[in-house]
Amino acid sequence: MKGHPLARMVLYSVIATIVGTVLVLVIDWFPTGASTAAGPIDRLYDVLLVPSVVIFVLVMTVVIYCAVKFRAKPGDLGDGAPIHGSTRLEIFWVTVPFIMVTALAVYGWVVLDDIEAKQPNTLIVGVRAQQFAWRFTYPDEGDLKTNQLVLPKDRPVEFRVTTNDVLHSFWVPQFRLKTDTVPGLTTKIRVTPNREGRYDVVCAELCGIGHSTMRQAVRVVAPGEYSAWSAQAKKQQKTVGGETPPEPE
Amino acid sequence: MTLAGRLKAPGWSRAALSQPIGFLVALGVVVGVRALYGYDPLVDWDAIITVVLIALPLAFLVGIGCFDYWFRWASGAPTVPEDHSGHGARSWKDYFYVNTDHKVIGIQYIVTTFFFFIAGGLMAMVMRAELAQPGTQFVEPNTYNGLFSVHASLMIFLFIIPVFAGIANYVIPLMIGAPDMAFPRLNALSFWMLPTAGILMLASFFADGGAFATGWTAYAPLSTETPLGQTFFTIAVQFAGASSIATALNFLVTIITMRAPGMTFWRMPLLVWANFTTSLLVVIATPFIAGSQFFVLLDRSLGTNFFNVGANGDALMYQHVFWFYSHPAVYIMMLPGFGIVSEVISANARKPVFGYRMMAFSLMAIVVLGFTVWAHHMFVSGMFSWLRVPMMITTMLIAVPTGIKIFSWLATLWRGVIHLTTPMLFALGFITMFTLGGISGIMLAVIPVVIHVSDTYFVVAHIHYVLFGGSVFTIFAGIYHWFPKMTGRMYDESLGKLHFWLSFVFFNLTFGPMHLVGVDGMPRRVADYAEQFATMNVIISVSSFLFGLSFLVFLYNMVTSWRNGPKAAANPWRAHTLEWQVSSPPPIFNFDEVPTVVGGPYEYGVPGAVHGVFKEKRGAAVPAGGGGAPPPAE
Amino acid sequence: MESASIAPGGHAAEHAEHHGPPAANQSSRLESQFLGMLLFIISEVMLFGAFFAAYFFIRVVGEADWPAKGEELPVAVAGVNTAILISSSFTMHWALEGARNGNRRALRAGLFTTMMLGLTFLSIQINEYVNIGFAPADNAQGSIFYGLTGLHGAHVFVGLTLLTFATIRAFRGHFSIKEHRGVEVPGIYWHFVDVMWIVVYTTIYVL
Ligand code: HEA
Ligand code: HEA
Ligand code: CUA
Ligand SMILES: [Cu+2]
Repeated sequence: MKGHPLARMVLYSVIATIVGTVLVLVIDWFPTGASTAAGPIDRLYDVLLVPSVVIFVLVMTVVIYCAVKFRAKPGDLGDGAPIHGSTRLEIFWVTVPFIMVTALAVYGWVVLDDIEAKQPNTLIVGVRAQQFAWRFTYPDEGDLKTNQLVLPKDRPVEFRVTTNDVLHSFWVPQFRLKTDTVPGLTTKIRVTPNREGRYDVVCAELCGIGHSTMRQAVRVVAPGEYSAWSAQAKKQQKTVGGETPPEPE
Repeated sequence: MTLAGRLKAPGWSRAALSQPIGFLVALGVVVGVRALYGYDPLVDWDAIITVVLIALPLAFLVGIGCFDYWFRWASGAPTVPEDHSGHGARSWKDYFYVNTDHKVIGIQYIVTTFFFFIAGGLMAMVMRAELAQPGTQFVEPNTYNGLFSVHASLMIFLFIIPVFAGIANYVIPLMIGAPDMAFPRLNALSFWMLPTAGILMLASFFADGGAFATGWTAYAPLSTETPLGQTFFTIAVQFAGASSIATALNFLVTIITMRAPGMTFWRMPLLVWANFTTSLLVVIATPFIAGSQFFVLLDRSLGTNFFNVGANGDALMYQHVFWFYSHPAVYIMMLPGFGIVSEVISANARKPVFGYRMMAFSLMAIVVLGFTVWAHHMFVSGMFSWLRVPMMITTMLIAVPTGIKIFSWLATLWRGVIHLTTPMLFALGFITMFTLGGISGIMLAVIPVVIHVSDTYFVVAHIHYVLFGGSVFTIFAGIYHWFPKMTGRMYDESLGKLHFWLSFVFFNLTFGPMHLVGVDGMPRRVADYAEQFATMNVIISVSSFLFGLSFLVFLYNMVTSWRNGPKAAANPWRAHTLEWQVSSPPPIFNFDEVPTVVGGPYEYGVPGAVHGVFKEKRGAAVPAGGGGAPPPAE
Repeated sequence: MESASIAPGGHAAEHAEHHGPPAANQSSRLESQFLGMLLFIISEVMLFGAFFAAYFFIRVVGEADWPAKGEELPVAVAGVNTAILISSSFTMHWALEGARNGNRRALRAGLFTTMMLGLTFLSIQINEYVNIGFAPADNAQGSIFYGLTGLHGAHVFVGLTLLTFATIRAFRGHFSIKEHRGVEVPGIYWHFVDVMWIVVYTTIYVL
């Protein structure tokens, strides 16, 4: 008799876990990935979702089950069973979460090392933030200065990020990478764009009145197109002396 | 009383008089100092207002009478015999004066903090109205930034932290069998500092340049450059912080030195344990936010260079100092709630709290671990990169002691006799919603994930799941649970349940979708956003209005029940802890005779178990030596 | 800081008459005032900790020159000042012994000398500020130098205020062999202020 409702509870929670897991995995959480970091990060996120669903469903089912099964009958003024504890259970629920979070932390660390690894043939791009716009320099392209960010596809890039005034945060959601810009520091992020397209550079750190409008574009283009753009931009910079090279295409 | 008499006696008239005097003193100080140093111009309004913002609250505290006793003592005047005229409330008017009764102070705290909750909540409503569509509709970006900054600051510094102090103020002395707190006058001072802090924050909207608009985190160097409103924040935080430290110190001393005979540490209710550990956090951590705001204030007003990189300052230092307080602060905002939930669940499930000692140890573990994780708010800040992985690991380890608590509550429910009263519903809602918020916290601790989602609505979702689904749900549970004790009347149970279900549903509809927009790329703290998030945001906004309206049910229930509710019995929940063994509301001095504690606080279902013995009333009924329950068997 | 509801000593009898609170059970050997002062000092130490964190970031992490180029810290004068402050801890102890033994003259003289030494310390420090040759706004080193010494100076000032109260009360004869917490508690604070100065002096001037 006793085992029966318990078995039903286990069944419900298994079903809820499966449904929940499928649901959270089906949801298209992230914007399109446009860098090599997107794959491992999205996978890590999915892996985190699974134990999360398991834990949440477990807590939910026990609460609902108890609220239904052990609910006092009207007028019942009795007390529950005077159980004070159980060392075995307590050891169990200390060790299992401990192992879970340790494993997840190690996995997170591995992914971190992976996405931050140094790559050969890296293109250096300087990023400078100022209330409320971004400016870029290409030291590898004869110190090209521009307010456009154009990157060749499949070539590793290292952003060296600084600011003229307060904190900002350099973020391209499609690249999955962000770093704050800090006065007096140059922060770095490495990224390898792998999908052509035009994405937003978003400022993700509150920087004053214009924070919400501090957006610019980043364009990932084929390597050939990139060379053409940079060559023209350099020429333009020399002759006109202006900082704004022409739009490609 | 004559006018002169009223101006001399502590109270509102003297407080009113103190304001112009405080203003003139501040003016004199600034002009005097500037004259001494030969600065030009002599009258600098920014400087004057900064000093005024410090002087007026202090003058108010003097005027209302927080310091009268100490002034007399300090000047060596003979102490007046204590006639207890400032102790206990005999009419509702007494709540508006300095009172040293912990029960009066507790209610003063709770009512005041709910006022700030409503103010902060209405600001959230304006924010949601603005965010319902992309573009600018109702408020300018600067006002918007001010709104969420004041919203969060009020919610954190003037609602969650002090409302827990208020509940604990009311309940703890009763629970441990003490006639009052250890330092009743300090207790009164702690309370009266709060409204001054809150009013400063609200008043910042009238400052030149608008309210402080740098978030509740006030990161430098933005906060050293923004208009005058920021000064209101830096100073308000000092008052709220001082209030918080003084209360925590008071709790610690009370709990250590004033427990009833027989009330060993292992017989204390878990609410007392929770506030004991919280107070440790407050005393140790709060000075750090004071420090961080001192630096900002000095940089702003005296031109120092703590955060000015051009002169060897360090901008990231702000975040380290700030988070060394503000991460522990999130546990300051959660541990007292854990205590409330333990009380509510054991009484309503009619069972001893499962693993009582582990519940206390896990609180201590959270306190210790809480000091080792501050930099998880700085994973993308550009700080030392070697610090990130250690901080990730310690942060994730906090899931272990927190898990102990969640699972022990679940085990307490198991095979209980569960009464789904309103406080119990909120406690159960808390368990589930806090688990969800905690899990999103674990995701935020994993560095590669947080590099993407930091500073997005995913974080906003986390904040509200842990702070609303967590802290505020426990606050509701606590208010409903102790409402009969505090007011002597019962609240309306069906309205309470309605409040719960409306809150529970619309809470999830409001803050659940924020996870999605966050991961999808919507940054936080923006007045305007990209077109692609429009649909989700309108859903969130509509739900949030309904969510806000659900609070009206609570408000109505509280006001009408306080005035006309049926009289409450001394112990409507049939709980064992001491506060329920005295009348509702308790007598002015709590106990005629300090009770003797003979057993654990939650011995439900143990035959013949008693927690406390009262000499006159209960003594006769309890056979000598036979009333003592065995200590929790473990 | 003064415990109130259960006013010590003489009023207990009056309480019973007009139905005051029952006497609280004393559940710890520690007295509430001492414990309160101890906890207050812990949070004060943490406040200094925040300032030392700033110092650490500016000097160690930021590798700023210490003191800034072309500036000099008066190590010797401050050293003399340190000696003055330390000796005030001894006179404070003398006063307290006087209170414990019922020696009023020692109590009064001890408190008075302590105050004088404290005032001397403060005035030397102010003199130092005037002649040091740099201002808080000059650079971050100056900011944290003034920040830490100023924070400490503010604590000396608070300590002196407490001592003034104790002295007034000592001259009015409020303390007895049994009841002299009004000397002891400020005394603890004063010792804390002294110890803190040794730390500040070492890190700022010596290292
Ligand atoms: C009540 C307040 C509260 C609480 C309790 C928490 C609890 C936690 N928080 Fe949260 N947090 C905030 C309030 C709070 N937080 C706020 C306000 C911010 C934003 C500040 C700002 O920038 O404005 C924030 C931000 C924040 C960040 C920074 C995000 C960013 O800005 O980039 C991180 C990152 O690590 C984090 C992590 C955590 C973790 C790991 C916990 C853990 O303590 C949670 C532990 C709980 C559980 C895990 C659930 C129960 C456990 C079990 C059922 C056991 C089994 C579980 C597992 C094995 C996983 N929080
Ligand atoms: C305890 C803390 C707490 C609480 C209770 C809340 C409550 C709410 N919060 Fe808040 N919030 C924070 C803490 C809290 N918040 C913090 C720390 C931040 C980060 C700030 C920062 O970035 O610096 C934040 C930020 C924040 C944002 C993000 C702003 C941004 O980044 O741009 C949003 C947006 O939707 C929001 C919404 C809400 C809503 C809708 C509520 C609702 O739950 C409010 C409900 C209450 C009421 C509505 C008032 C009472 C109701 C009535 C009197 C009835 C009348 C009602 C109507 C007319 C509708 N909050
Ligand atoms: Cu730049 Cu936000
Ligand atoms: Cu944190």
